[in-house]
Amino acid sequence: MFDLAYFSQTLVNGLSVGCIYGLIGIGFCVIYNASGIVNFAQGAFVMLGGMITYVLLTTLHLPMIVAGSIAIIVVALLGVLIERIVVRPLWDRNATMFVMILATLAVQIVIERTTLILVGDQPKSIPVFTDLPPIRIGGVSIGYQTLWIIGVSLVLIALLALFFQKTLVGRAMRACSINREAAALQGIPVSRMLALSFALSAALGAIAGILLTPTQFTAFNVGTPFAISGFIAAIVGGFGRPFGAFLGGIALGLAQALAVFGLGSGLKNVAALSVLLIFLFLRPSGILGAAK
Amino acid sequence: MMSESRSREKILEIQALSARYGQIEALHSVDLDVGEGELVAVLGPNGAGKSTLLRSVMGLTSSTGTVRFRDKILPRRDTSAIARSGIVLVPEGRGIFGPMTVQENLQLGAYLIGGRGADFERRREKVLALFPRLKERLTQTAGSMSGGEQQMLAVGRALMSEPRLLLLDEPSLGLAPKVTAEILETLGRLNRDGLPILLVEQKAPLALKLANRAYVVSNGRISAQIDPREIKSHADLAHHYFN
Ligand SMILES: Nc1ncnc2c1ncn2[C@@H]1O[C@H](COP(=O)(O)OP(=O)(O)OP(=O)(O)O)[C@@H](O)[C@H]1O
Ligand SMILES: [Mg+2]
Repeated sequence: MFDLAYFSQTLVNGLSVGCIYGLIGIGFCVIYNASGIVNFAQGAFVMLGGMITYVLLTTLHLPMIVAGSIAIIVVALLGVLIERIVVRPLWDRNATMFVMILATLAVQIVIERTTLILVGDQPKSIPVFTDLPPIRIGGVSIGYQTLWIIGVSLVLIALLALFFQKTLVGRAMRACSINREAAALQGIPVSRMLALSFALSAALGAIAGILLTPTQFTAFNVGTPFAISGFIAAIVGGFGRPFGAFLGGIALGLAQALAVFGLGSGLKNVAALSVLLIFLFLRPSGILGAAK
Repeated sequence: MMSESRSREKILEIQALSARYGQIEALHSVDLDVGEGELVAVLGPNGAGKSTLLRSVMGLTSSTGTVRFRDKILPRRDTSAIARSGIVLVPEGRGIFGPMTVQENLQLGAYLIGGRGADFERRREKVLALFPRLKERLTQTAGSMSGGEQQMLAVGRALMSEPRLLLLDEPSLGLAPKVTAEILETLGRLNRDGLPILLVEQKAPLALKLANRAYVVSNGRISAQIDPREIKSHADLAHHYFN
């Protein structure tokens, strides 16, 4: 029998996890646009966002907003550091794209293992941001954390749109993605834009991690599955298009939720990969059509 | 030979500049200079290495040799630093930011002064006065304009940085003769107002009309230097090209 309340509940959950995938997907796009690199360390940023917040909450007993903000800043700086000590030297040596992508995968593993050594393998969680009972609409209950996830994601999307459309630096980053050489010829410091793109992507990943940790949990190895989902979101969105990636994330979240609803939870990943394959076959340029 | 130009202060001095793509050397020890206020043309057939020469000056190739601009040696591979020193290249193929508007393209040309403010407005008005056609298209996406308009935008964008030396790589490429004439006329005017220009151009007669001096590049070397006043006929030109 079709249970409308349960169905709606599923859609809401899919939407919220989809927003998370979308934020991670945007992270992939921002770095890809600045450099042509697919950064496989993206999942590590997500994990670290939640993990650093957890550590600050439990050891220093900081308020959530402070702990979260510090985590975001630390992860953003780590993004810059990775760009400086891993990507840039390879870049300056004219390494192939393939080598640089492998290097980011190595970074992912190093961060994962270091986290394992420092905090152990037990899953950690952090409290929800607003500790109130869920809102009930009909038979659907919407937790406050879900509202936080969707709300923060939409605000971030709006801010990113403003940044890329209206500010000189945002426009310069777009210029780099359209034609890096021509951008450099205008005096745009292309390598600084690359560092900035790592900071931005890392911060987005960290925010995604902080948002989702209260409803799920975090552990040293949660990065990779989220990176894969974010990566699929980016492909579905037409790689390199941040807003496409966000839509792709939502499509993916909904598809997974529907698969779980209709076919059982064992098929969540099958659904994700099916979405990917369908897009690769039918619409390789992504939801929004032909990429740049 | 060119005694007049020798008396000018050299602002760009290229010495023993070689450039390679992988194993292939495309430019072999080229010497070239541009004096204050000069318009110097670089002529030569397809594949001669003209673009490679300009790209090497801007640090876009792996090259050896020295490039001195106003007594400072330019870094070898830092294009944005070279741009900051006051040289701007309008590249072959124009390199405009197609998905962005004309206005945004012009703003990015003035990236070094922050793309806003009174100085920016003044420069923009100057460029729009030079290319009135851009004025009507400020909010149009650059990629949707005609080839001639795109070339005007490429030159206009370059001028937004108020360069102290303008490099142009075949601005006439793919354009109708009328538009070409219009653009070259504008370049001539800019040069008469004091802007030094290094112009790569395959259409030799047009370039020689504007130029104070010209170099011919073939097979990656400077094969001749031309004083445009000595070129009276096609035969004169052919003589320089082929001997
Ligand atoms: N990216 C590249 N990789 C390999 N070889 C290149 C590259 N760019 C240019 N070349 C080679 O270097 C030589 C010089 O090319 P360049 O583009 O400088 O010539 P050009 O004089 O500008 O020609 P054109 O008038 O057709 O623009 C050519 O033989 C060309 O094939
Ligand atoms: Mg050329």
